[in-house]
Amino acid sequence: MSSVVLSGDKSGTVTVTVPSVAGTNTVTIPAVTGTVMVSGNMPTFSYYETTTATSLGNVSFTKITFDANEWDTTGGMVASSRFTPTIAGYYQISGGYNTGSTTGQFFVTIYKNGSSFKRGSMVAGGISGLNTSVSALVYCNGSTDYVELYGYQNSGSSVNTALGNSLTYFQGVLVRTA
Amino acid sequence: MYEKLIKLYPELANFDFASGVIVIQNDSDGKGDYIVKWEHPTLTQPTQAQLEAIGK
Repeated sequence: MSSVVLSGDKSGTVTVTVPSVAGTNTVTIPAVTGTVMVSGNMPTFSYYETTTATSLGNVSFTKITFDANEWDTTGGMVASSRFTPTIAGYYQISGGYNTGSTTGQFFVTIYKNGSSFKRGSMVAGGISGLNTSVSALVYCNGSTDYVELYGYQNSGSSVNTALGNSLTYFQGVLVRTA
Repeated sequence: MYEKLIKLYPELANFDFASGVIVIQNDSDGKGDYIVKWEHPTLTQPTQAQLEAIGK
């Protein structure tokens, strides 16, 4: 394995390593200014509900809360079920919830800075309950912008979200810096 | 909150609250529902005093 070590102006180094395998591979650096995206600077998280469901009020946009994660490489950017990125850029945000409700209409919404930003599919309650989900790109300025997940339903009474990492979840990843 | 609004304005019973014209929100912070947006063309947003009176 061969490596090239680049030294910083004052301190630190960056090592570029070429694997010791047969064949020729090419990495082309585009003639533009930008930040190289590698796993270390692409924070990602996946939260879900495991012990505490969210009670979605009738005809109310209710913030969905999460109490467990499958992973969180954001270094604390997620707190109180709110994602406040410290790196400015474009984030792929997705989420959804499940309920056992048999009546009413349901949807999930990505909130940015306290207001509805992108709404997911509206579904009706059914014999086996329902799932609703949403996915969108969200620009965050890396300081004050934040993202949350809210659920809406109009079944006539409060409805609990279903527990489980495949049922009620909130995920995100930085896909491009600003 | 929704039930209070319907008592105050029965004509809202068939109103589409998902439309975003009137938005009831709950931030799951223990403070309950509140009206975050009211842009109804004819009905005025109820005051806190009106809402509390309905609850009595």
